[in-house]
Amino acid sequence: MVKALKINKDSEQAVIDLLKLLLEDNRIKGVLTLKKINKKGDVAYTLITRPDELDDAVPFYPLMPINAGKLLSRFTLKGKTREPIIAVVKPCELRGFIELVKRNQGNLENLFFISSTCGGVYPIKMAVDGVVKNNLSRYWDAVKKNENAADLRPACKGCEEFIPYTADMTVDLIGKNDLDKQCVILLNTKNGEQLVRNIKLGEFIEGELDKEKLDKLRVKREKEKKKIFDEINAKINGIDGLIDIFGRCIGCHGCMRVCPICYCKLCEFESPDSEYTPSNYELELKKRGGLRVPPGILYYQLGRLTHVSISCVGCGSCEDVCPVNIPLTSIFKKVGESVQELFNYIPGRNLEEDIPLITFEKEEFAEIEE
Amino acid sequence: MSKNEEKKLRKKAAILSAKNGIREGIIDFLKKSMDRNIFDAVLIPMRVPADDSFTYVLIRDKNLLKNAFPLPPVMSIQGGKAVSSITRLGKSNIKIAAVMRPCEIRATIELTKLGQTNLENITLIGIDCPGVLPLSDFLNNPEEGMRLFDDAVSRWDDRIMRPVCQMCDKSSMIVGDLHIGFLDAEKDSFFIISNSQKGSDVIDKLSITPQADISSWQTKVEKISEKKHKKREETFRELKSKIDGLDNLLDTFSQCISCHNCMKVCPVCYCRLCYFDSDKVKHPPEDYLERAKTLGSIRFLPDTLLFQIGRMIHMSLSCVSCGSCEDACPMSIPVAQIFSMVADETQSMFNYVSGRNLEEPLPLTTYKEDELHEMEDTHG
Amino acid sequence: MEKDKEDFMPKILAFLCNWCSYAGADLAGTSRIKYPPSVLPIRVMCSSRVDPLFVIKAYLSGADGVLIAGCHPGDCHYEKGNYYARRRFVMLKKIIEEIGLEPERLRLSWISASEGNRYAKTVTEFTEKIKKIGENSTKNRIFL
Ligand code: SF4
Ligand code: SF4
Ligand code: SF4
Ligand code: FES
Repeated sequence: MVKALKINKDSEQAVIDLLKLLLEDNRIKGVLTLKKINKKGDVAYTLITRPDELDDAVPFYPLMPINAGKLLSRFTLKGKTREPIIAVVKPCELRGFIELVKRNQGNLENLFFISSTCGGVYPIKMAVDGVVKNNLSRYWDAVKKNENAADLRPACKGCEEFIPYTADMTVDLIGKNDLDKQCVILLNTKNGEQLVRNIKLGEFIEGELDKEKLDKLRVKREKEKKKIFDEINAKINGIDGLIDIFGRCIGCHGCMRVCPICYCKLCEFESPDSEYTPSNYELELKKRGGLRVPPGILYYQLGRLTHVSISCVGCGSCEDVCPVNIPLTSIFKKVGESVQELFNYIPGRNLEEDIPLITFEKEEFAEIEE
Repeated sequence: MSKNEEKKLRKKAAILSAKNGIREGIIDFLKKSMDRNIFDAVLIPMRVPADDSFTYVLIRDKNLLKNAFPLPPVMSIQGGKAVSSITRLGKSNIKIAAVMRPCEIRATIELTKLGQTNLENITLIGIDCPGVLPLSDFLNNPEEGMRLFDDAVSRWDDRIMRPVCQMCDKSSMIVGDLHIGFLDAEKDSFFIISNSQKGSDVIDKLSITPQADISSWQTKVEKISEKKHKKREETFRELKSKIDGLDNLLDTFSQCISCHNCMKVCPVCYCRLCYFDSDKVKHPPEDYLERAKTLGSIRFLPDTLLFQIGRMIHMSLSCVSCGSCEDACPMSIPVAQIFSMVADETQSMFNYVSGRNLEEPLPLTTYKEDELHEMEDTHG
Repeated sequence: MEKDKEDFMPKILAFLCNWCSYAGADLAGTSRIKYPPSVLPIRVMCSSRVDPLFVIKAYLSGADGVLIAGCHPGDCHYEKGNYYARRRFVMLKKIIEEIGLEPERLRLSWISASEGNRYAKTVTEFTEKIKKIGENSTKNRIFL
């Protein structure tokens, strides 16, 4: 049991009202959240400082235009924010940010986080023709019923990490039948509790997430995940399987650019080290008789796997952005989880846990030496 | 080269047989050229093993040529980028024929002016271009896409091609060292015509005599270009009304997710580290907050339009309207159409056509003392 | 094909740390211990200098095997290098396995400066193993 704030209102509206009050009271100076940015109803992350600008906020909109972890890194890359800011983010976005902080790409000071039990999001490509808008009522019905909505991204369908680890406040959404009438915000941290102390909204209660209910969803998601991984395993089949999967990659490197774990200013695979000189080409031609141009599609993909799999949070951004629909997240998540398992590591779970590659134990993995 | 010489080189074409189709005919021509050591390798599109897309391959082993696809139904990699990948770090030591569409050759020429390719030992071979399908359309069903494309090409019908292709009035522009023309030819032949000394040398070495007159091809090309030019004006008129004014412009780019795919695939955006990915656009939190406070809220990341307009400023004079950016945009923003429109306007101010001629300097690297007076004191 | 397997001499890229394994290899040579001519040694200052990308690059370029060798745990000239190297290796091997490539082509061994015999044995064993697996067909692929 933790302290919780209960507000008798639609959950999304309640959170908006809470954010407004926090801004009005000067308890915070800015809000990062999803918001409708035009008449068409397109949704984007927005940094809000004036309460009335929250009118069009849609904190729990089922879309991840950009992984917010990446945005928060951009926001605090040059130093901590001196004024307190609150961000409403999805659990994997928060985990992404924590991984970035571990890499000195962000600063947690004066940042507060609201997250929720997460019902998943739709592919960004569905936002193009406003399809997401039309799906909203179906989406919330599924969330209430503790189910996966149809057409969610594969990354979300098979995501078991739908409860945030380090959020100051968690909004209880999944399987909550009355989420459009009542909002329960769990205050997980002292910071969170302090921030809303004596706020004139709703009532303070003791609360907790319904573990049993959430486990039911977890089982469903595990099943989905297994299905997705099995499908990938069937396709991955030696070097030729990889060439089949990645052969249509156009080398846009969008996947790297949107990945919260890929933070390098200049990616190795865009650096001079990855370029071929004319004599490199000649050598390869002698060996192979021909070579794809530009070369290095697999070098890039496998290389990126060595760079990010230890910290991949399975957020789905890479697959979302890929213009040629390569099932990137399914692959990166599958490989990522198996690597993380070796070290009993869940990326973004805890700021204090070192990234496994920068630490070691003297007695371990003896079986690997031959 | 003087204008006259240029004309002379171009006047007559050599007719080659295409009894088994244009594709076979072109492959045959390339094979013969390799047999005679005119080229050591050929850069040409090939189908990927999964059969769901195409990519450029540098072929040295002649046996691979049979899998070449001189006119693939999609442009998944812009040829200019391919040539640059091979020669950016220095001239090629082997002689390479690069078979590409006209806009890809134009990109290659722009990249050469920008110091990103070295054309020594490269022979550029252009082809009449029927256009390509939108990449995503093709990927939805590659088999069907292939069929539709072949069918459309046989009728030279561009209605299923990408919007930029439908309005491309340079689809048969002779810009390489050699050009392959077939839109006019009888079904069982095509012609090849030289456009430079390099090109003429190839024809000489193959001992084929350029005797054919291409005026009927020219007439046809003119007709097609005219039609496409009309379509271009029409499209731009419509587009202009859609993006006119700040609000419309913002709406057009409202779904941009800042992935910068467009920049990355654009052949003429060659910077290793884009300005808009550099430290220059990363600010301390106070700056972002200050901006938010003056407006009540700002989109985060901010400056989507700054990127788009900035990119226009950086490369619209060299944009070849190839459509790659639009293909790569996961949010289906009509980037290429917009850039193409702006490019037409900026290039025409300098009477410049990107990639038309290697000898024409980039407009911003040169000036005349007496020019552009109409732009002075424009507020007056 | 079968015949090829018989007289196939694998190409093994060996990253040997300067302070132990390279010296071990040297000792094997000066002591005239016999081992197969399959290895192309690359001297690195420490086993932790081996970027996983080196291994990927080697694999895609057609190396039949990659050996990383360093000082025994506790003996690294830089104290901790080989512990990090071991973690990286474990990760790399897992990735290779998970994407359906051949983890058997990778090997990590600790060989000290005085272990010329161990070096020879490692190379002999590894070479035999790779002979059984056969050639790395990646070197013929053009769509990489
Ligand atoms: S987003 Fe897709 S096309 Fe672009 S580099 Fe990544 S895998 Fe390749
Ligand atoms: S690899 Fe893909 S799924 Fe994993 S963190 Fe990066 S963008 Fe997200
Ligand atoms: S801006 Fe777009 S259309 Fe113009 S050259 Fe670049 S990729 Fe091609
Ligand atoms: S110096 Fe030998 S492993 Fe570090």
